Amino acid sequence: MSNTAWRNRAASKSARSKASLPAPDRARAGDLADRATQVTAEWAPTAARVLLGLVLAWFGYHELMAPQLWTGYVPVIAPGSGLALAAVLVHGWVLLMLAVAITAGVVLRLAAAVAALLLVQIVVTLTITGGLTDLTLRDVGVLGLAVCLTGATRQRALLTA
Amino acid sequence: MRIAGDTIGPRGIAVLAVSAVVGVLLGLHGWSGRHNGLPSTLAGSGPRPSAPARVSRPARSPATTSPATPSPAPSPGPKLSSQSYASYSYQVWPGPLSTAAKAAATGLVIAVHRHGSGIMVTAGVAGRPAPTPRFYPAGAKVFVVEAALGDDSGNSDYNLGDDGLVVTNSQERILQ
Repeated sequence: MSNTAWRNRAASKSARSKASLPAPDRARAGDLADRATQVTAEWAPTAARVLLGLVLAWFGYHELMAPQLWTGYVPVIAPGSGLALAAVLVHGWVLLMLAVAITAGVVLRLAAAVAALLLVQIVVTLTITGGLTDLTLRDVGVLGLAVCLTGATRQRALLTA
Repeated sequence: MRIAGDTIGPRGIAVLAVSAVVGVLLGLHGWSGRHNGLPSTLAGSGPRPSAPARVSRPARSPATTSPATPSPAPSPGPKLSSQSYASYSYQVWPGPLSTAAKAAATGLVIAVHRHGSGIMVTAGVAGRPAPTPRFYPAGAKVFVVEAALGDDSGNSDYNLGDDGLVVTNSQERILQ
């Protein structure tokens, strides 16, 4: 079926469905849908910010608190070395800073861009070392969130003062 | 002040400064506790493909299948339950293997054989040469330690830095 035919069919189905409701109910349903759309448009970027911040904060905190458990992820450097530990600590610190900046909305787009670069590095490293797996693709999703926030212009609850 | 098109004020700078200091303090805490990790960590340089961890059934004639000369049994240490990693230790011997133990052993090859009055334990990273088996007296229990099961995918363990092996005696005092 062509796109136009499919759209026409969907539109007539939607119209039939609306027509079956009494007029006041139809208006109320329309208002509710409009309001839900408005609230979502206003707050969804904020929710994305908080959720991405939560992910980064969780990993940052654990890398800082127990770096010895994360050295296996450091590419090239031997996991048991002090250099690997230091690399994990620096990585954890950067993640924590990005988490705070993104959640609070301080220099949001810059922080989101840095987070996106960091996630690109993580995805590439995991893909090289282990191939495309469920873990790698989960990080691709988080990368998508970070990329979205680099272009976000409408935000609520930003700390700009 | 504007940075990369975004405005940052005194409060924003203060929040970032406080989180930077908190991050440094957490990092110092992590650095000072870097030796409080796992026992006999099986850390490797990256994910390794693996066959499922195997725990063999008792051999019929251990004397003829013995892979190495038994070393003397080590002296018992603290109880496993008193260790910070006790909550993420999963018993692999004696069986049966739990689902969590199977998941925790991803990327590792753990082999346990009955040997005379005790057991021989070999634990290593899949795809690498197996280390020398070690002998433990009868009643010994073998646990695999995995701090985060989330780093396993299929047959690969992305982070062997949080994997380890613990062998206890029958009172669950750590032998290795």
